[in-house]
Amino acid sequence: MSAVSQSATGGGVLRVDAVSHGYASAGRRTEVLRDVSFEIPPGQVACVVGPSGCGKSTLMGLAAGLLRPSSGVLTWDAAPVRIGSNPHVGMAFQQPGLFPWMTVRQNVAIGPRTRGQDRASAARIADEFIERVGLTGFGDAYPSQLSGGMAQRVGIARALALRPRLLLLDEPFASVDAFTRLKLQQEFKALLKLDRPTVMFVTHDVPEAILLGDSIVVMTQRPASVKCVLPVAREERNRASPAYARKLAETLAHLGVSSEPDA
Amino acid sequence: MSATARIGRRVLLPLAGVALVLALWEATVIAYALPAIVLPSPLAVVRALGELVRTREFWRDVMVSLLEFVAGFGIGGALGVVVGLLIGESRRARLSATPVVESLRFVVPFAWIPLTILWFGTSWTGKVVLVGYAVFFVMVVSTARAMANVDPTLTRVATMLGMGRLQLALRVHLRAAAPTVASAARAAAAIGWIAVVAAEYIGASAGLGLMITNAASSLATPVVIAGMIVIGLVGAAVSAAIGWVARTRLAPR
Repeated sequence: MSAVSQSATGGGVLRVDAVSHGYASAGRRTEVLRDVSFEIPPGQVACVVGPSGCGKSTLMGLAAGLLRPSSGVLTWDAAPVRIGSNPHVGMAFQQPGLFPWMTVRQNVAIGPRTRGQDRASAARIADEFIERVGLTGFGDAYPSQLSGGMAQRVGIARALALRPRLLLLDEPFASVDAFTRLKLQQEFKALLKLDRPTVMFVTHDVPEAILLGDSIVVMTQRPASVKCVLPVAREERNRASPAYARKLAETLAHLGVSSEPDA
Repeated sequence: MSATARIGRRVLLPLAGVALVLALWEATVIAYALPAIVLPSPLAVVRALGELVRTREFWRDVMVSLLEFVAGFGIGGALGVVVGLLIGESRRARLSATPVVESLRFVVPFAWIPLTILWFGTSWTGKVVLVGYAVFFVMVVSTARAMANVDPTLTRVATMLGMGRLQLALRVHLRAAAPTVASAARAAAAIGWIAVVAAEYIGASAGLGLMITNAASSLATPVVIAGMIVIGLVGAAVSAAIGWVARTRLAPR
């Protein structure tokens, strides 16, 4: 653990305040987000759920500073989020977006490299996080040699290797098979233990949101706003418990899905 | 597949193709009783080629053509990639360069031959300029297009990882576009090589094109055809070399 022994700084507060976002294409303006507000306390995991196309990925891009909101503000520890690179952010994308000409190790090491580590220690950090996501021995593999689930893990390792205080995950388990997904979900909490970052986790999988989130941010249809923010209690994560079933039904009801058969 | 079967496919089948062309050629010469001035037999051409490669002038001509090509290809290719990169990275560069590029790239290189002879005479400079011109436009257009087609996720990833604009342009966009740029370079090399030979046909003081026109005017047809074969071989070798670089150094694995 020597490579990652530097003291962790822990997560901060992400505030999304009255944010609207739209874009113009072919002369038409499309409004994606309308007046979105919520807050994620330090070190907490917020799972954002909503119908597909409701702007969850846009929200991610805004929180990372990759997009500028049409109106409203996003703040990190009370300071506005800068447009461009933000050193506090680590993000794993829906498409892993690995550089195909680099090995797994190089892909994970590039973040520490651009943030000033020398080549050797960046490689050490990369190996550390490759091990954490369970890909020991794949450091010299190229992305084209990996399965979809393995590529997703590399994407997560790359985000974690930045030692982010804000971890943004855009449906990181969406393109993997159901079994691998369950495994990744189980390992997820352990991955956060090192730095305790604040996490925004976008998913369209409600059971996943209940399992992984401290709170669930339920979005409406496009133009999306926040329908409600549901806290998740510890016993509600036990899939065998009635509390879990009630939480699932409650969340689905907010998404407009009935839990009654043949309703 | 067994080793002998593989050798059969890799060696015998291509040889069979060549043999068929040579047989048709020989048959034509015999059937029409053609004189060597019109169409010499393959054997006469091989003999002419054998004599050619023993002369110092032949190798000088090959070197002149090749150097003209390499210089023009290097300069035009490098400038083309740089301008294509700028067009791909900067909206301002794209808007200002597009009308010039789009109007000049259809003025084929051969249309410039009279002007280059007027400006540079029969020297090698004119050929270098011509090849550079031909290669430049192929590389500008294909580099700019390849950059535009880079997966936008890679851009977001690089920004998230803390890369600045220059690093993003060179280490991500240009690198991601490199395999496409390399195959465009291969196509550009073919056009550039054609441009060298064509320009030498029309006015040169040395080179393979001049060698062939000289041979033609003294009715040494076997030498003409031998020269054509050399042009083909050199062109194929250049193209294969670029293909090899692209495959071994740049291909996404």
